Amino acid sequence: MSWNRVAVVGAGLVKFGELFDQSYEQMAAGAFRAAAGHVDKGFDPREVDAVVVATQRGTLWGQEGIGGNTVPSALGISGVACTRVENACPSGSDAFRVGAMMVASGVHQVVLVIGVEKMRDKSSQEGLLSRAASGHPVYNRGETAPVLFAPFATRHMHDFGTTPEMLAAVAVKNHHNGCLDPYAHFRYEVTVDQVLSSPPVCHPLRLLDCCPQTDGAAAVILTSAEDAGRYTDKPVLVAGFGVATDHPYLHEKSTFLALPATVEAARRAYAMAGLGPEDMDMAEVHDCFTITEILDIEDLGFVDKGKGGPATLDGTTSLGGRIPVNPSGGLLAKGHPIGATGVAQLVECTWQLREEGGERQVAIRNGNALQHNVGGRGSGVSVVNILTRNR
Amino acid sequence: METEPRVTLPVGILGVGVAVPSLRIDAAEIARAWSASARGSLAVPDADEDTLTLAWAASLMALDAAGVRPDQLDGLFWGTTRPPLAEGPSHVFLATALGIDRRAGGHLSSGSTHSGMDALVSAWDALGAGHVRTALVVASDALVPGPGSAVETTTGAGAAAYVLGPVAGAPGMLAYRTTDSLPVVDRYRGDGAFATSDTYDGRLFRDKVFMPLVSRVAAELCRAPGADGGTGPHDWSIADPDGRLAPALARSIGANLISAEVTGSLGDTGAPAAFLGAMTAMTAPGSFAMVAYGGGRATAVLAGSTREVPGARGALALLGAPAHTASYPQLLRSRAQLVSSGDPVPMGVPPGSAAFVRGNLEMLCLRGARCEDCGYISTPPSIHPSCAGCGGDRMTIVDLARAGTVETFVVNETMPPPFTAPLPLAVIDLDDGARVMLQGVSEDAPDLAIGDRVQLVLRRYGVERGIPVYGYKAARPPHQAGVAPSPHQTDAARPPHQAGVAPSPHQTDAARPPHQAGVAPSLRQARNRGGSR
Ligand SMILES: [Zn+2]
Repeated sequence: MSWNRVAVVGAGLVKFGELFDQSYEQMAAGAFRAAAGHVDKGFDPREVDAVVVATQRGTLWGQEGIGGNTVPSALGISGVACTRVENACPSGSDAFRVGAMMVASGVHQVVLVIGVEKMRDKSSQEGLLSRAASGHPVYNRGETAPVLFAPFATRHMHDFGTTPEMLAAVAVKNHHNGCLDPYAHFRYEVTVDQVLSSPPVCHPLRLLDCCPQTDGAAAVILTSAEDAGRYTDKPVLVAGFGVATDHPYLHEKSTFLALPATVEAARRAYAMAGLGPEDMDMAEVHDCFTITEILDIEDLGFVDKGKGGPATLDGTTSLGGRIPVNPSGGLLAKGHPIGATGVAQLVECTWQLREEGGERQVAIRNGNALQHNVGGRGSGVSVVNILTRNR
Repeated sequence: METEPRVTLPVGILGVGVAVPSLRIDAAEIARAWSASARGSLAVPDADEDTLTLAWAASLMALDAAGVRPDQLDGLFWGTTRPPLAEGPSHVFLATALGIDRRAGGHLSSGSTHSGMDALVSAWDALGAGHVRTALVVASDALVPGPGSAVETTTGAGAAAYVLGPVAGAPGMLAYRTTDSLPVVDRYRGDGAFATSDTYDGRLFRDKVFMPLVSRVAAELCRAPGADGGTGPHDWSIADPDGRLAPALARSIGANLISAEVTGSLGDTGAPAAFLGAMTAMTAPGSFAMVAYGGGRATAVLAGSTREVPGARGALALLGAPAHTASYPQLLRSRAQLVSSGDPVPMGVPPGSAAFVRGNLEMLCLRGARCEDCGYISTPPSIHPSCAGCGGDRMTIVDLARAGTVETFVVNETMPPPFTAPLPLAVIDLDDGARVMLQGVSEDAPDLAIGDRVQLVLRRYGVERGIPVYGYKAARPPHQAGVAPSPHQTDAARPPHQAGVAPSPHQTDAARPPHQAGVAPSLRQARNRGGSR
């Protein structure tokens, strides 16, 4: 039996990309207005009584002390309760979970969960993903973002025979989906050959195996399941969620063939929702690198361990496949504005369950969708949220 | 100055070791950039090698050869023209990384290429006086010549180490020495200057400084008591600032020059030059001379061996081993003389931070925290108050094994300054069951593979705000013969040398086949963590 105590009544985002002409505050306002405008029966911004902001790091645009509390003013609702959630790459999905619990507790009635990240105000050289200064000053010296995932690719290829073509198939699929998503950062097709001939970034990953650095914002409006009818006749309910941590350093990993945080977060979310991977109609998963999506679809139970590569190659995760994965284009094509990423994935899941997915709409048979992020030092945290349109 | 030879107490040579940097360059390639010509090959350091890392490697090789544990030493006598810190803890960093007892003595000699000989003489005197029973002498240099300078096409790098002790029963000995000086300004580096410069015209230096001074100490050595009836020893190793001076001197005194081959392949290694050139003499019984020059001083040493000195044959093999060829731009980058215009990525935690005060010992000594409940070894201890295996908090600090097997790895190809790609990073299962993740060395980047055996070598991780930061990197053997002896490791467990150090072209196919059949059985520690997996 699913949890189903909280409903998403509105969901929206700004087009992701290099938004050089928009400030952090302007992106936030754009996402909020999009979510408010999505509420079927109309929404007065002043109905919001609490805001949960997901921004992973303000230092990316020179704001060390960004506390989330600057956001309500930008949204024109200064005075409301506001809290920032920072939990690495799952910041947005964890903010959603926190917002849902705030509503379920009865303390707050209408909660805005908004993810905002400004990544391109600094040059890519100065950006998060090219820095190599996190963790221990010596033991982790040189660990840029791809270093946190590429060792899994090396081992997955060694043990399961996963090929560069299989990795490339993830990028090809997600770029194709991105072409169908007007909100995606990249809207062009890539071929396997283009992926395999793109510049090496962090062996065995190449440039087109990696997601871009993207500006963006996304927002959802949550109410209790009972109140949802005041806003929409098509509420999407929070069926369950799970969070799990793992050791934050790569040398403490129990395996390089899976991300244990994802496995445990998924187990908890499935248990809370009373559902399993076979019940999902689609999933938005964390494909910061191509290998990550292959690990995800195995760890989330969509395919057997070791079969993520072949399953991607044979179309299992394509739009018309058994379990469409990342119809929005994923992080690889839609982009990865960190705090906004998870919220935007939940926007996509909401739209798909409401069959508002346009050209990229997947077949909704069971009425359930899964959203997943994993990240932090050494994939030390994962969040899984499961949404349903079934009451 | 014809005086009676002084009496010198002989001391024993118990073992020797050497280290050479990982790169070679033809002097002609450097000269070509400046429309000049030059001969010979030079041994040059990679960006993460310096005089300290070379000294570390040579020292461990000598200790291993002598069968002396670092904690048995009474002193470390280190001679290097240019220590890694002009002022600062250079000596204690090296001693700590070597595992020498922190109450041991010794000292750091520097300031000219004569510093290696100064270190040897100091240890010799301390032994003669009876203040020291066993001493480690290491001479090393990785000098930075100015681009386009005359010394740039002659400056090499390397290290040589001796373990000295009582003469009775020792395979080798230092018998006698002579020294002399001239107040001249030859090669120098002023306060605040980055690169070493030459003052004198080459002919002026040869005719009025080097030849007369070195001839005098050589002639005096030949009159030493017991020096083969006044003719001196047959074999001479002579430090050679430009590759032509030692042969000329040898001809003038009728000596057999044994150091020319090393000088020709490594260049002028500076402080260790006289010692590196003499390794060949210690592979068999006989007497020989070593002559050092630098900073207006020259010293000649009469030495000999009654049998092969442990380490000498291995040293000779290492000196002649093939190595990777550097381009001139790569050399300039490694010396920080060709620098990207971008802001370098700072260390997340600067060396001035308390984290380095807390963490220096565990980094330099490579320590872990072994769980008394489950045996899991967490590294490094200071950030693991709880066992990463079982969550327990009863830990014992242990020295980690210094060799292991690659569990998985990456090669970082796109790195902001100060990094230079390609940079391997590898997860290593050490032979004691601990697991670490460390940088690899650049020469392993083209074909590193899961299952490869690696050794942990001390390297310079960076120079942050002028302060060098040292740590260990994973390198496939043969790399530097000096590999820290592990308390957990027997000789039998040492990794087999891998064939072929020549770099293969980097594979352009993303596909690196999952070859490496017959991967060594993993000694990975059991991970009985909680959770659902
Ligand atoms: Zn334990």
